[in-house]
Amino acid sequence: MTRTLYITLILALAVPAAVSAQEENSSKGYLSGSFETNNILYQNDSPTGAVAPENRIGSNNYLKLDYYRGKFSAGAQLEGYFPVLQDYPIELTKAKLTNYYVSWTDDAFSVTAGTFYDQFGSGLLFRAWEDRTLGMNNAVMGARVTYNYKGIVSVKALWGLPRMGMEFSDTQVRGGDISFAISELAKWDGTYLALEGSVLNRFEDIPVDLEDEGGKPGSTGYSGRINFEHGSGFFLKAEYVDGGQKYYSNPDFASDGKMYLQKRGNAQLVELGYNNHGLGVNFTARRLEWMTSKIMNNSVSTANLLNYVPAVCTQYTYLLTNFHPYTVQLGEPAYRNSGEMGGQLDVYYNFRRGTALGGKRGMKIHANFSTYYTLAQEGTAKAGNLLYRDFSVDIEKQFSRKFKALLLYSMQEQNTHYGVGKATRLQNIVVADMQYKFTPTFSTRLELQYLATHEDEKDWMAALLEVNFAPYWSIYVSDMYNHGSSNVHYYAAGVSYARSRTRVSLSYGRNKDGYVCSGGVCRVISAYTGLNLQLTTSF
Amino acid sequence: MKAIRTLMLAAAVFFLAAVTAAAQIPAVNVENAKGEVISTASLVDGKTPMIISFWSTTCKPCIRELDAINELMPDWLEEAEFRVVAVSTDDARFSTKARSLVQGHGWTDFIDIYDKNQAFMRAMNVTLTPQVYVVDADGKIVYSHTGYTPGSELELLEKIKELQ
Repeated sequence: MTRTLYITLILALAVPAAVSAQEENSSKGYLSGSFETNNILYQNDSPTGAVAPENRIGSNNYLKLDYYRGKFSAGAQLEGYFPVLQDYPIELTKAKLTNYYVSWTDDAFSVTAGTFYDQFGSGLLFRAWEDRTLGMNNAVMGARVTYNYKGIVSVKALWGLPRMGMEFSDTQVRGGDISFAISELAKWDGTYLALEGSVLNRFEDIPVDLEDEGGKPGSTGYSGRINFEHGSGFFLKAEYVDGGQKYYSNPDFASDGKMYLQKRGNAQLVELGYNNHGLGVNFTARRLEWMTSKIMNNSVSTANLLNYVPAVCTQYTYLLTNFHPYTVQLGEPAYRNSGEMGGQLDVYYNFRRGTALGGKRGMKIHANFSTYYTLAQEGTAKAGNLLYRDFSVDIEKQFSRKFKALLLYSMQEQNTHYGVGKATRLQNIVVADMQYKFTPTFSTRLELQYLATHEDEKDWMAALLEVNFAPYWSIYVSDMYNHGSSNVHYYAAGVSYARSRTRVSLSYGRNKDGYVCSGGVCRVISAYTGLNLQLTTSF
Repeated sequence: MKAIRTLMLAAAVFFLAAVTAAAQIPAVNVENAKGEVISTASLVDGKTPMIISFWSTTCKPCIRELDAINELMPDWLEEAEFRVVAVSTDDARFSTKARSLVQGHGWTDFIDIYDKNQAFMRAMNVTLTPQVYVVDADGKIVYSHTGYTPGSELELLEKIKELQ
């Protein structure tokens, strides 16, 4: 099997090259690629509780190559973990040619064989994607066909085996997606209206015990969507998802004798907003129930995901704002929790130059509010315990050609036990982010942050100073200090050099335990201290 | 076996490198500001060069870079003719937020496109944002820079001027 695939790959790469060499007067194809290496040398550090892994080193490496020639493309990705960085999915080991594909695309039609990434709608039903921050790559190995008829109808069909760790799993996915743009057919001017639908079948052999309890290896889920945008800037998107049949270990096995709980997943999503004239308003409401979708039912890996269910709230970027990011509750029998419901509102406004508040150089303001609850009862939209609530506002102003500042206030309240009880923790955070340009290419940036809370380790403060020599060099030093109880300093310093498509960064410091999030999906990390060398390049 | 695989890959790369030309804008499907699906090939108009910048709502330096370009754009347009393409790499969930942020930051003179499935990002082999390119009128990449330091945007104008 493996050998056949390699032969396919080499053929796929060689054929277009050979063709291009033979055809006279035709334009040549081109090669594009990227390389990334991320290495950490760990050390023990008792004040933070950081424990170095056995061999004290972690190294994640990715080499990606793509060849394009006209409508044809082919590519591969080689990954190497020597060994994988701490707290990444442990199934990422050694080196392997993990992804490879050949593809043919023209204006209306495309065919891909090999690995591919894709998603249906918002990804609640199905998403195959790569996120190196999370150690996530569930590319599907198989085939995909897409067809677009004059922008009115677009259809997608796919089949394959999702990648899990360094291998392709035995789980099969088969799916289809259709989008029908009514507005294009009716030739409406300035209005876009589309009806969309998807179906996904997932097939995995199941344990005999589950079969005895009536479980089936195949499960089919559906998604129906409406997508409306008006030229004035108003938009409405709605989605209903039937997530298919799900199986969970039964926490009450001792009393009722059933090993598994069988549930049907469902989700509802509404997005409503207005974007025009310097104003951006975006409201999202979502309800989830039993929406776990795994590649392999028996794996507990953090990368064991077949759908994309991000936390719908602001993903903060400053040090102290990220201690307790919200992690989504998909439904977990062990927590007596079938899911979550809630919503978020984002408002952006740009006070233009020359207006009273905008002044000479304009001013930007952003506010966000979100709130999430457990489902009080299965099958209802009754709110249970508060899971998460946050409010934030940030104002950014360019005061002069040289000086610019951003002020952020954030209030975050979070359930301490994933909604199992009512207890919450509350924290208030303020951040001042100031940039001063001494010359057009020499600048400094200073962040000052404070976190106030009565819980956990009480209050924190943090500062970061960055000195930039554009376009190549940047240096920073930072410190997060807990003066509420532990009195531990989390210091760090680093330097980066960027030239053309290459960037190298070297940093050393203490990292607090907590979460690393990307795109609303998070993974848990333990405290670590060490030296980090990262290089990315593309060609 | 591992050595053979590596060797095969190296051979394939070498063979391809021998028959390849300069990198261009690949044709992949993305969404435009209206939510319609367009091909990135349609960005190349044969007349004006462009600055292509990859950003996301959670990438602070990306937003700083695009704010800086937006601030300088009226002055730059007096010196050279060009377009700015801001490519949001936000996932489906965050792409509506990206649209709102575009308004709130006044990036309305840019060509804003939304790469919800990161197809354009992968095809351009972008691994780290911010990533910015200067592309000539025929779609050939003539300059690129990874990361943002305040002031590095000035190089973009220099490259654009060279293309006039």
